[in-house]
This record gives sequence, structure tokens and C-alpha cells, in this order.
Amino acid sequence: MRRVWTAGLAAMMVLASQSAQSQDQARADLQTFEAPALAGNLQGNPTQRKVYVVTPPGYDEHPDRRYPVVYYLHGYWAPVEAQQAGFRLHEAVQAATEAGNDVIMVMPDGYSALRGGFYSSGPTVGDYETMVVRDLVNWVDGNFRTIPQRASRGLAGHSMGGYGTARLAMRHPEVFSSIYMMSACCLPPMVMTPESAAGIEAMTQADIDAAQFGQLAGLSTLATWSPDPADPGPLKVDTGLMPDGTIDPLVNQRLAANSPLVMLPQYLPALASLEAIAIDIGDADFLLEGNRAFMAELDRFGVAYQFELYEGDHGNRIAERIKTEVLPFFANHLDRE
Amino acid sequence: MRKYLLAAAALLVLSAPVAAQNITAPDAVVPAGITVQAVMVHGASLEGNLEGNAADREVMVVLPPSYAANPTRHYPVVYYLHGFAISGRDFYDYMQVPTAVATNAAEGREFIVVVPDTLTAMGGSMYSNSVTTGNFRDFIATDLVRYIDANFRTIPTREGRALVGHSMGGYGTWVVGMTHPDVFNAIWTQSACCVSARTETPASAAAMAAVPREGADAAGFGMRAGLASAVAWAPNPQKPPFFVDWPLAADGTVDRLVLARWAANSPLAMVSSHVAALRSFAAIGSDVGDRDGLVTDDTLIHQELEKFGVAHEWAVYEGTHTDKIGARFASVVLPFMAQHLDMGHLDMGTD
Repeated sequence: MRRVWTAGLAAMMVLASQSAQSQDQARADLQTFEAPALAGNLQGNPTQRKVYVVTPPGYDEHPDRRYPVVYYLHGYWAPVEAQQAGFRLHEAVQAATEAGNDVIMVMPDGYSALRGGFYSSGPTVGDYETMVVRDLVNWVDGNFRTIPQRASRGLAGHSMGGYGTARLAMRHPEVFSSIYMMSACCLPPMVMTPESAAGIEAMTQADIDAAQFGQLAGLSTLATWSPDPADPGPLKVDTGLMPDGTIDPLVNQRLAANSPLVMLPQYLPALASLEAIAIDIGDADFLLEGNRAFMAELDRFGVAYQFELYEGDHGNRIAERIKTEVLPFFANHLDRE
Repeated sequence: MRKYLLAAAALLVLSAPVAAQNITAPDAVVPAGITVQAVMVHGASLEGNLEGNAADREVMVVLPPSYAANPTRHYPVVYYLHGFAISGRDFYDYMQVPTAVATNAAEGREFIVVVPDTLTAMGGSMYSNSVTTGNFRDFIATDLVRYIDANFRTIPTREGRALVGHSMGGYGTWVVGMTHPDVFNAIWTQSACCVSARTETPASAAAMAAVPREGADAAGFGMRAGLASAVAWAPNPQKPPFFVDWPLAADGTVDRLVLARWAANSPLAMVSSHVAALRSFAAIGSDVGDRDGLVTDDTLIHQELEKFGVAHEWAVYEGTHTDKIGARFASVVLPFMAQHLDMGHLDMGTD
């Protein structure tokens, strides 16, 4: 704890000294904002959230200038600091400025006790969805020189954040005008089987602590989309496992109700209202099939989007493509001053 | 071809009374002092639907007694959604809405009550967004509310609006409320239908898929309700003539993805991901008759709300699916809404 405080203090001093001078480089500041939307969640996820705010070169010297904002939702497993260490968002913003496309980039902490809140809404994990569309956007518009309108806000994300991008665009189309989904996870419905339910119910805290990515992701999504405040155990999940060994259909129905692929027909007016939609994924990504199924739905209903299948896996080119693809895409679609 | 035409002609003859299979009712009594306007509201959300349902909808607007004499006073609005196989006007008649407005006004509770028509080719919109039927979720929450606020002296804020519905309209109240919690301050469902997810067997799915488009009107209430649900929840613009994905896979089994789409429109399955929206309402009410076939289903969502800590009024009363709805709208629902809406400035009689 002491070490964290010391590091925080050092960061604040660096910030203070930087903001007194000219800003010739894009700057990624790790800040905090308050998210009342998460109050009372059963995992104990804090309402005070970390967030990276990346301001472009020249932000300090031009106190009258306002900027469009790209919100970026990170993926599962790693905390926001590690996500930024990988993505290096300041380099993407720097490159955008050099191309004449100043922008503010914002990446909130989407982490949870089970390593990811899936930008969804439920009593166990908390209302991460409203945390982003209401609490975060209000805080950013209130504390930075943004152009505080839909036409100047973009939403993008990777993996769990690609899921969040699709979900939030469908359910809150009044907030963002263009979206970019990178290697989106969780588009088709998750399905509980008796085997996986039994496996989850048998997990001890030690098992959870030692769980690998896929196993913990299955538990975290279940806690998010099939919460159970009455669960006597610590997980507060409803696995649906019934005494006769079958799965309660309601659990799989709840999971379906959180699947963008399934939700899509009901939210077509929202998708159609977007200025632009982009989707990309690596050809070696294990999520390719789910993305293709989602795009088949967009095709069926005549929703326009751009798509790129590139050479890569689930994570090896994300940072590069934020710089070379994502910010140039938003430069074409977000309104500037 | 000739044979087809003859068959179609025969069906047309058959379908004349069958089209009237929708429930009708004699005109409502309009008590002294009550003004009713039947307006046509254009639904931009309904344009281009594949069933050819009208984008201009009749809406019954019932104004309270003091409305005309108080040209500066603004009133709360209760939106009242009708059920399946009935028009908005017939529902308004059947439920004696003008009398409900009058009796409440006599006790000092003055509302505007708005009854929109959402009858469709299959007998009902399910108040859902569908490229096939039209985007009725958005029509209610956006087009209709905007029109009423622009054309009547409403309290044009969330605090001045309630959403109520019967049967399919109760279903609509759940789903429109959960997905547009910013629009309405309080909701009440009466004998809500379609609360838990609809499922099919291979045989029932095949029966649904075998209904000819021209014969849909004659398919009977239960089958029509199934067809209406299918086109509302699993539309497919590439599959005429119904523009739907039937819940039947090519191999004769039930199509799980179609059932998943239906499930995603089930209020019961939606509760756990809409707890914050539900808790944001000033009040929620739900009731059903003890002799209504839907009592079991409605009890499930009551229990789900309890489980997730969503406060709500809940009543099972002595009655059927229809026999006490209008009376309870007047004696239970409107008084409940008076406690939870911004009722506007009291008329001080100075103007």
C-alpha cells in the first residue's frame, strides 16, 4: 500500500510539472472518477474507477480548443494499467495529431473481482454499462475540453471491450455516433451445460485464484449475465444446475438476452442510427467464427459496416491497429470544431 | 393459377368475418366533462415495415374535465397499452377509459390517458422492434410520447408519465419500460402475457411454419399469437411472405437460435440485466386475476423481482383475464399513479 501511495504521489508530481509547461507530446494520465452506477454490487467492485485520459499534443497550450473523444474499452483478464502498457494509447493519439486529427482518448477500468465486468449490467458485478455511458461520459465532458455531443464521440474496444462496444452502441445509441469492434468476444449466446455448471459449483476459492483465462472468463460472464443475489456462496451466480442434473432454461435465456447476436433484431434502429461501424479481427483469432456470425446478421438486415480480416491472432496487433486503423477511422467520422 | 385465385377468393370470403375475429366493443360511455380526441399519430419508427402495417396510428386521447377551462394547466399522462387481437379504440371502449378518467377526476386526480392502436396484420405488435412489423417499442417510447407532448398540455418530463398495459400491453409495459426507463416514471402491468420465454416442440414449430400467409387471419387466437410473436422477435427480411425465421431448423428440430431470440424478448429473462432500470422507477405495480391462465407466469416475474430486490406492488385478485381490467384501471391503477407522478399545479381557481 505504501508503495502504491508513493508511486501515486510521484505520478501526481510529474503531472503537476508537466501541465505547467507546454505539452508537446500526447500524454496518458491515470486518473480516477466516481461511478455511482456500481454502488452496491455484490463483488465489492469499487465505485471509484481508474481511467486513462490521453490528451493530444498542444492540449495545455490551447485552453480554448475542444476535441472529439474516442472511448476505448479494454479486454478481459488484465488490469487497466497492463492494458495501457500493451496498447500505448498515447502513441496512437500522438500519431493522430501528426496526421492532423487531434483527439482525446479515454480508457476506463473495466476490471472486476473476476477480472472483467463485460460492460454489462447486473447486481453481482454492478452496472458497468451505465458506468460508461453515464458516469464516465459525464465526468469526461465535465473535466476535459471535449466536444460534448454524440457526433463527436466514438466507441471502440478489444475482445470483452469489443463486446461492450456492440452492446453499448445497441442499447445507448444516443451517446456515441461511430463504433469500432476489435476481435470482439461473446457475440453468440453463451450456453450453460450441466458439465460446466457442475464444474463451476465445485470451484473453491483456491481454484478461482488459480483459474486460467478461459475458465475464469466463463465464471465471470456467468456472474455478470446470470447473477443470483440469493446464492448462499460467495460467487452470487445462478449456474442453473437443477437437482435432476439438467439446466434451468431460464439461465440460458438470461445468457441469450445478453448476446449481441441475439439482441440485434430488436436494436436495429440503434445500429442503423450510427454514422459508421467497423469490425476487424485476426485470421488466427479463435473468435473469428462468432464475428462472422454477427456480420451475417448485419448483412441479413442490411446494416452497413466495414470489415477487415488481417493476418494476426487475438492480441498481437491490437496496439498497432489502434494507431493505424482505429483512430484514422474515427478521424473520418467524428465531428470536429 | 386459376385454382389459386379461386382458393384465394374463397379465403377472402372466409376472412371477412375472420378479420373481424379481433375483439370489438360498443362505444365507451363518455361522461359529462370528459373530452375525447381520436388523433392520427405518424410513427417514423414504423415506416417501411415489411408487413405493410400503417405508419399512421389512431390514438385515443382522453382529456380530464378541467382541461378546457384551464388553458395554462399541464397534466400527467398515463399511456395505456392494449392487448392482442383488439384495436386501440376497441380496447378504449371495452375498458371504459373515459369513465375511469372521470371518476378519478371527481376525486381530485386528473390525468390525460392515451391509448395508442398497435393492431398489426398478425393481430398485435408485441410492442417490439421488428423490421417485419415495425419498430413499435420505439414508436411508443419516442414517436408517440413526442407527439402527445407537442400537441397536448402535458407535464413533458419523466415525472409526468406512466406506462400501463393489459395482456400483450402488459408485456409491452415490461419491455418498453425496461428498455426506455428514462421516459416513464412508473409502470403497471395488468395480466401481462408472454412473461416467460415462449418455447416450441418440433411439431408445434412445424405447425406454425405450415400456416399459409393468406390463412393467417383464420389461424385461431393461439396460433395468431404465436405468429405475431414470431414476426416480432425473429424477423427475417429475406424470407417472404411472413418475413420471419420460424423456430424450425432444416433438419426438423427446433431452431435454438430462433428460440434464443424469443428468449431475449422475454421479460422474465430480461429482469436480471435490467435491475438498474427497474429500480430507477418511482414505482412498479403488477396484478392478475386468480382465474387467469397467466397467473402462474405473472407470479414468476413477481418472484424474480423479489429475488433481485426490485420493489413493486403485486396483487392476485378474484377475476379472469378480462373481467375486472377496466374497473381496476380506474380504482387501482390510476390512484396508484397519482401517488407516483408529478400531478402538476393544483388548480387554484384564480383564472
